[in-house]
Amino acid sequence: MSVVPLRPGVQTEPSSGHAQPVAMIEIDHVSQMFETSGRRSHLALSDISLTIEDGAFVSILGPSGCGKSTLLYIVGGFVTPTAGRAKVKGRAITGPGPDRGPVFQEFALFPWKNVLGNVMYGLRQQGVKRGEAEAQSRRLIEMVGLKGYESFYPKELSGGMKQRVAIARTLAYHPEVLLMDEPFGALDAHTRTRLQNDLLNIWERDRKTVLFVTHSVDEAVFLSDKVVVMTRSPGRIKQIVDIDLPRPRRRADLLLDPHYQKYVVDIEKLIDDVLEDELHP
Amino acid sequence: MSASLIGRRLSPLLACIGLLCIWQAAALVLKTDSFPTALEAIRAIPSILGDHEALLNILDSLRRMVIGLVLAALVSIPLGLMMGRSRAIASFFNPLLMVVYPVPKAALMPVIMLWLGVGDVSKTLVIFLGVSIPIIYHSFQGAKAVEEKMLWSGAAMGLSAPQRMFRIVLPAALPEILTGCRTGLVLALITMVTSEMIARQNGAGNILFNALDMAQYETVFAMIIIIGAMGIVLDAAFEKLRARLVRWSEPDVDIPVSFS
Ligand SMILES: Nc1ncnc2c1ncn2[C@@H]1O[C@H](COP(=O)(O)OP(=O)(O)OP(=O)(O)O)[C@@H](O)[C@H]1O
Ligand SMILES: [Mg+2]
Repeated sequence: MSVVPLRPGVQTEPSSGHAQPVAMIEIDHVSQMFETSGRRSHLALSDISLTIEDGAFVSILGPSGCGKSTLLYIVGGFVTPTAGRAKVKGRAITGPGPDRGPVFQEFALFPWKNVLGNVMYGLRQQGVKRGEAEAQSRRLIEMVGLKGYESFYPKELSGGMKQRVAIARTLAYHPEVLLMDEPFGALDAHTRTRLQNDLLNIWERDRKTVLFVTHSVDEAVFLSDKVVVMTRSPGRIKQIVDIDLPRPRRRADLLLDPHYQKYVVDIEKLIDDVLEDELHP
Repeated sequence: MSASLIGRRLSPLLACIGLLCIWQAAALVLKTDSFPTALEAIRAIPSILGDHEALLNILDSLRRMVIGLVLAALVSIPLGLMMGRSRAIASFFNPLLMVVYPVPKAALMPVIMLWLGVGDVSKTLVIFLGVSIPIIYHSFQGAKAVEEKMLWSGAAMGLSAPQRMFRIVLPAALPEILTGCRTGLVLALITMVTSEMIARQNGAGNILFNALDMAQYETVFAMIIIIGAMGIVLDAAFEKLRARLVRWSEPDVDIPVSFS
């Protein structure tokens, strides 16, 4: 039985068959300038161009402060870039929408709702009947390993538990695009591995498009079709690495796979270069 | 029930008894007509509460107070929330509020009486003005502090701007709003008595100041005890309601009777 049934209302456009890759997200020469408190401007993102195909799993790696979150906010429609533009399914992004579901680094749960209330929120908002929304939400809560905690309030949860509620809350309303900002950052290694597998299962079944920010090279290679490595000050794309590993992937197999190991080592080196360049420009 | 819980329940009572003891001792030492002992004042309470007329007067006061407070909440909460979320609205209303803030609202009573008479409308309006500012201020602070990402999450789920105001900003700011309402409640009581001191027509304040004019000092102090008790009971009841409504928020230090 599927944990997250496809919503009947969501239909793929006839042109977006899987035969030829279709751009789901296009980021076109995007720059983002911030006014900082000293009336000085800070270039967080500089001339970023990136195309993410429908159903692709793309990870972003880069040092802290290189603009990963900012890029995600732009795709989410929460922040309007100071230059360039972003598109989803060929339409310019003008604001947030339920087709793009964010999982924020800061969780941003609704503290006045308990776990079940948080996870149900999006479904109820979209007019799903209470009983149906509750049943689906309970299954998701179970999937993220929080069965028994349905009636807990966010303040009563640990950091890792909050993070899992945030993931479930976004998965619940079936966004076509997932924008995940270090969603597994606060989890222990075992829960992390389990949720990585669950996320891959959902992704393989529903063919969601995923834009995934992480600090773990290992995780990025394991999950992704493409890994984007960024540099800092200003935030630029250093390199895009295509991860050509067969799917479905199993962690236990991959760890011994020399191709996998090579990807990890190569990307580690890339990031070392990024940090080295910062020290000795 | 643990010993510490019993202690916590009992200590406000002990404080009240202590205060009455000091009063009793001070009055016995001073021995002036205008300062009856605590026991004399307490003995005068049943005759006030037993008097049909006096009781109606006190209920009238309470009614005006509740109406003034509720109307103020209905206007101040939305205004404060909108100020907290919109810089333009905030910078429009802020100077106005700054002008109104330091004016003692009861001091407006004579002017308001000229326009609206000495009846309920004037007194309710003064209470309304007296409690609005703390409620606006706390609603404003509460709305301003709402985490941006929470609103973004709502927007991504398809909530429109008014829906986000009502279903995210309002509940998220509720603990702060209720703190403002609690301050407002105490201020309402103060303004209520003051307004009746100026517009001497009926009400709890009127009983107090009439007794003062007639040198019935036991009644004066009995009324002070009654008004003080009303304050404690109303505050405690409101605190119960508040705690129930915002159980989800950070646990507050639980003080059974407190003076905001
Ligand atoms: N609202 C803002 N105002 C001013 N500067 C900002 C703002 N948001 C982000 N920045 C700046 O933009 C840069 C990128 O920030 P961002 O949060 O996107 O980094 P990040 O790559 O997600 O970092 P981390 O890995 O630590 O989460 C930082 O230098 C930050 O100081
Ligand atoms: Mg970030």
